[in-house]
Amino acid sequence: MLELMQGPLLISILAAMVRIATPLLFSAMGELVTQRAGIWNISVEGTMLLGAVVAYVVASTTGSPWLALLVAVLACALISLIMSFVTIVLKAEQFVAGLALNLLASGLTLFWFQTYVIGREPPKFAGFEQVDIPFLSDIPILGPVLFSQRALTYVSFLLPPLVWFFLYRTRYGLEVRCVGENPKALDVKGLGVGRRQCLAIMFGSLMSGLGGAFLMLGYSDRFVPDLIAGRGWLVVVAIIAGNWMPFRIVGAIFIFALLEAVGIHAQVVGVAIPHHVFLVLPYVASLALLAGLRSRTHQPVALGIPYSRE
Amino acid sequence: MISIQRRSGSSLRWNVVCFSAAILCAFLSSAALLALSGGDAVKGFSALFTGAFGSQNALFGSLAKATPLLLVGLGTVIAFRAKIWNIGQEGQVLAGAMMAYWASLMVGSLPYWVALTVIALAGLLGGGILGLLAGYLKTRFGTNEVISTVMLNYIVIFFLAYLLDGGPWMETGVTVAYHQSPPVNPSLEWPDLFARGAGKLHIGFLFALAASAFCAILIDRTSLGYDIRAFGSNPTALRFRGTNVRRLLLVVMLLSGALAGLAGAGELFGTAHRLRAETLLGIGSSGIVVAMVGGLRPSGVMLAALFFGALKSGAIYMRLQSGTPAGLVSAMEGLVLLFFLCAVVATKFQIVRSNVHA
Repeated sequence: MLELMQGPLLISILAAMVRIATPLLFSAMGELVTQRAGIWNISVEGTMLLGAVVAYVVASTTGSPWLALLVAVLACALISLIMSFVTIVLKAEQFVAGLALNLLASGLTLFWFQTYVIGREPPKFAGFEQVDIPFLSDIPILGPVLFSQRALTYVSFLLPPLVWFFLYRTRYGLEVRCVGENPKALDVKGLGVGRRQCLAIMFGSLMSGLGGAFLMLGYSDRFVPDLIAGRGWLVVVAIIAGNWMPFRIVGAIFIFALLEAVGIHAQVVGVAIPHHVFLVLPYVASLALLAGLRSRTHQPVALGIPYSRE
Repeated sequence: MISIQRRSGSSLRWNVVCFSAAILCAFLSSAALLALSGGDAVKGFSALFTGAFGSQNALFGSLAKATPLLLVGLGTVIAFRAKIWNIGQEGQVLAGAMMAYWASLMVGSLPYWVALTVIALAGLLGGGILGLLAGYLKTRFGTNEVISTVMLNYIVIFFLAYLLDGGPWMETGVTVAYHQSPPVNPSLEWPDLFARGAGKLHIGFLFALAASAFCAILIDRTSLGYDIRAFGSNPTALRFRGTNVRRLLLVVMLLSGALAGLAGAGELFGTAHRLRAETLLGIGSSGIVVAMVGGLRPSGVMLAALFFGALKSGAIYMRLQSGTPAGLVSAMEGLVLLFFLCAVVATKFQIVRSNVHA
C-alpha cells in the first residue's frame, strides 16, 4: 500500500482521479437539474452509452472529435424526448421508463457492435489531445494533476458553479426547483410544468451524452460494449450522496474517482490486495454513505411523482 | 366527433388490442433496424421463429431459456406488486449461483437427491440473502431500494470476478485464463426431464412451474398476498391496520431475491455447468422485462417468459442461419418494454365516437 504514496505515482493517481471524475461531473450536473425538476431519470447509464456510441461512429467516419462530440450531444438531446413523452405526457412510472431506456441503449449498442464493429479492423480515430495550460501546468504536483488535462476537463471544472448559479440565482432555476418541490404552485401561476420538466430532462440527457462522448473520445482508442461500466449508476448515487446539492455532489464524485484511480494503480503496481477491492469500494462506500444519510432534507419532494392537474 | 376519454373500468378486448399493437410495433421497429443494417428482415425473423419453435428440440430449447426468466420474473412480480422496486435481480441471480456452487463443493458425498435439494436450497438462500440485505437497508436506514440493489449488483459482480480471477474458484491448470470456475461435479448436474435426444430441458423447468403456481396462490389467495398488494396501493392504510410493514418488506425482498437465486442455480447446474459471469449476466434485466410485460401477474409472466425465452433461443439459430447478430434480441427487449409501457397507459383510455358536436 505504501508504494502508492510515493511522489510520481501519487501525481499519476491524482491526475487519473481528475480524468475519471470529468465524465461523471458532466453527467451528474445534468442529472441534478433533471432530478431537481422532479424527474427521477435513471437512464443515465444508457444515455452515456448512447453518447459514446454516437461519438465513436462520427469520430471514426469524419475524423473530427469535436464534431463527434456535437453530434453525440444532439443525439442524446433528441433521445430525451422519448423519456419526456413517456414520463410527462403518458405519466408512466419514471423508474420503469428509465430502465426501459437503459435496456434499449445497451441492446441497440450490442446489436450495432455485433453488426459493424466486432471481427473487423477497429477504425483509427483521433480523440481529444492533452492541453497544457501555460505556466499553471508547470506548478509542481498541482500542474500535472489539474492543468495537463483534456480541454473538456477544464470545462467540467466550471460546470458545478454554473449549475449552482442557474439553480439558485436565476429565475428559471428557481422555477425548475419549484417544479420538483411543488409543481402545483407553478401551475397555478400559469407557468408550464411539463415544459420545464421536458427541458430539464433534455439538459440532463445531453450532459450525460457529453459525459459518455468524453469517455469515448478522451481516453479510449477502441469501443467496447461495456465502456460505461456502471458509471451512470455512480452518478445517480453521487447525487443522493451529495444530498441534491451541487458542490457536495462534486465531493462525492471526486471520492469515487479517487477510489477508482487507486484501484487502477494498485493493479499495475501489484499491491498485495486484489485490485477488485478498489473497484468495488465506490459501491460499498456509497452504500454505507446512503445508509448513514438518514435525513435527506434536500431531496425534491415531488421527485418521481408524475404531475397531473386534477 | 371522436374524443379520447379516461376509461372507468377495463375492457379485455381493448387490452388485447393495445398489447398486440405494442408487440407489433416492437417487431416492426426491430425489422426496420435489421433492414437499416442491411439484413434481410423476413429471413431473419423466419429463422428466429424456426429456431424457437421449429422442432421439439427447438421448443425444449425455448423452454429451457424461459426457465430462469420465469423464475426471475415471478420474483420481480412479488416485489413490484408491493411497489418495492427491487432491481437487483442481476446480482441475486449471481448470488444464487455462487451459493449453489459453494454448496456443491461440500455435498459430494451425500445421496444424489439430497445433494440436489441442498444445491437448490442454497440457490434460493443466496439470492434471498442478497434481497434481504437490500430490504434491511431500507427498513433500518431508509435506503432507496433501487439504488441499494443496483449497488449490490456491482458488489456481487466484482466479488465473483475476484473469485474467478485470482480467487479460490479460479480454474487452474489451463493455459488460458477464461475467468471461470472448473466444471461442476458431473454427478451433481441437474437431470434432464426427457431422455437423451429429445432436447435438453432440465429439472429447473419444473421448479419454475411450481414457483408460478406458488406465486399465483400467494398473491391472489393468501393474506400475505393481500398485504403485498395493499402495500403497493396504500402503505399508510396498511400501517394503520396494524400490519408489521417492516416485516412485510423483508419477506417480500427475501422471496423476490430467492426466486432469482434459484434461477441462477438452475442455469449453473442445468445448462452452463461452470460458474462464469457471462452466462448469467442479462438474466436479471430480462426477468424484469418479463415481469413488466407479463402485467405483474404470474399467468402473464409465464406467457412473457415463454416469449422472451423463445426470442433468446431462436436468436442463436437466427445468427447461424441468416447472420443476424443475436444482439438484436437484446434491443427488442428494450423496445418491447418501452412499447408496453405506452400500451399500459393506452389501456386506461378509450376512444369515444359520438354524434353530439361539442
